[in-house]
Amino acid sequence: MDSQFLVSLVLILATFGLYIGIAVYNMARQTSDFYVAGRNVPAVFNGMAIGADWMSAASFIGMAGTVMLLGYDGLAYIMGWTGGYLLLTFLLAPQLRKSGRYTVPEFIGDRYSSSTARLIAAVATIIISFTYSIGQLSGSGVVIGRLLEVPTAVGTIIGVVLIAFYSALGGMKGITWTQVAQYLVLIIAYLIPVIFMSLQLTSNPIPWLSYGQIIGELQQLDQQLGVSEYVVPFTEATKWQFLALMFTLMAGTAGLPHVIVRFYTVSTMKAARWSGAWALLFIGLLYLSAPAYAAFSRFILMTQVAGSSIADLPAWTTSWVNTGSLSVADTNGDGILQWEEIVISNDIVVMATPEIANLGVFVVGLMAAGAMAAALSTAGGLMIAISAALSQDIYYRSINPKATESQRLLVGRSSIIIATVAAGIVALNPPGAITQIVAWAFALASGTFFPALILGVWWRRANGPGVIAGMLVGLTVTLTYIFAAKFGGFTILGIIDTGAGVFGATAAILTIIIVSLATKPPSKETQEEVLDLRYPEGMTYKDGEVWRTDPVETKRPEH
Amino acid sequence: MRKIDKKQADAYFRTRTTLVTIYLLIGFSASFGVVMFAEELSGFSVNGMPFHYFMGAQGAVLTFIILLFVNAIVNDRIDKKFGLDQDLEDKK
Repeated sequence: MDSQFLVSLVLILATFGLYIGIAVYNMARQTSDFYVAGRNVPAVFNGMAIGADWMSAASFIGMAGTVMLLGYDGLAYIMGWTGGYLLLTFLLAPQLRKSGRYTVPEFIGDRYSSSTARLIAAVATIIISFTYSIGQLSGSGVVIGRLLEVPTAVGTIIGVVLIAFYSALGGMKGITWTQVAQYLVLIIAYLIPVIFMSLQLTSNPIPWLSYGQIIGELQQLDQQLGVSEYVVPFTEATKWQFLALMFTLMAGTAGLPHVIVRFYTVSTMKAARWSGAWALLFIGLLYLSAPAYAAFSRFILMTQVAGSSIADLPAWTTSWVNTGSLSVADTNGDGILQWEEIVISNDIVVMATPEIANLGVFVVGLMAAGAMAAALSTAGGLMIAISAALSQDIYYRSINPKATESQRLLVGRSSIIIATVAAGIVALNPPGAITQIVAWAFALASGTFFPALILGVWWRRANGPGVIAGMLVGLTVTLTYIFAAKFGGFTILGIIDTGAGVFGATAAILTIIIVSLATKPPSKETQEEVLDLRYPEGMTYKDGEVWRTDPVETKRPEH
Repeated sequence: MRKIDKKQADAYFRTRTTLVTIYLLIGFSASFGVVMFAEELSGFSVNGMPFHYFMGAQGAVLTFIILLFVNAIVNDRIDKKFGLDQDLEDKK
């Protein structure tokens, strides 16, 4: 047990204590109604909570590595994951907020007057959130594995126990302020190392302005080595794959139930717009820094690791080789490590940075705490989405409408634990890198929820049969394409599994339109409710006329 | 509750929809548009990197953030113009 272990452990335990403390403190004040938790949260803090909910272990640990390994092609993730907030804030969030529903399946079920649609949406919520949470759990496995110097699988098991305990304890209550704290921990942990690395490599403390210079040097190094250049586009996949992936990530973001739910907790449409803007600013801080990490790490690997004698590598490499995330085999046996002989997992770029830049035990520990904050806050949001779908949309509204409050809570709590353990078992042997697993969740969301929500809000003619057929077709097309591309070698225009959402979304939108037009239009009440979403809160649409409503009357009903 | 001119309500909806369309067009040009022409746009540099790389790593994200804040500010003004801001204050 060395000092690094102790410092990291203390930092992680301290942040855990903080989160649990916040959850308990807020739980005590809100026993009656856990849905209003966010209603009095100012937009700035709600933006932070959205940011923490949103930025997963994959964003924190894996994205800089993905950008480093893929070069320009990795930037599809940066633009896709931020661009989703345009679609969400412009096209969905304020309208969904005005609709006054509490979960995504509930909105879909009521909007399309269909219990079947609600059930499909609830099952899709569970599948998507489950897929997504696998990435969180294997991510926390990397962090804990590195920290305790145990295999990643053991780290994953520890993460599962922690997250199950944390989400079941915190429940839906008090999670907003916990996520605010988690955002602050993760963003500080993310920015400190990249600022120091920028100082060391360029003498400029502002990484966003300084890494351009490093990219210029990388271009020269690539030319000398004759490898494919860092900034040259479409070296890893086709342009169509880049565009399809970017679309899938954007539409998936706008359709992810655990993200949308955060917009339901604000008080007004105005607050929804401001929350979206603040959220993207806070998210952007991390996403603008990831390419800087990528450039700095690649530069260090090319100049300080590649070209050194295999017996004389920097000390930080040893522990990463031990966890299996870095391979430095001297395959041609000349005693010198060549750039081509380095095989690096995208998961270690950010986590290794404090050691590479020699920032000391405190920053290494802070990094671990930041990664855990990213994994925990997202996993918490996901587990709540799963449990709300199970306990509210399936159990309460379909199986047992007479369930008491405590029965529903019991179903909610136990489903959190079961879901976490099940996701953990899959995460022990994850079928791909973290970022890729998450991209599949986005493909599924863009093939199911995105079309159902967009058309549900903007096209009053869309009806129940249409959306049921549309979501099923979208789900089938997306899953089929993922498996055909991943395991069958089938692709269209070079678009691989991660870009499958573009086909799923297209198929679903077409199906909803065709089937809706071929069947009876929705009831007058439903169509009026959709028209009502066009207007701000002070206006209500009724019987072909618009009414100006008093604030008291527009107050939404409490469930 | 009192009836208001539907034309006025629809004017609100039209203004909002027009603005959102413009914002989305700008946002998509900065992302999808630049990617479509990535090779052609790599000839000059911004902030030390080729333009297509700059847009992917920084330009598009900054555009999105600015668009969202512009939307929030402009929409507050529109609400005020239509006399809706008072409600929001009351509701707090």
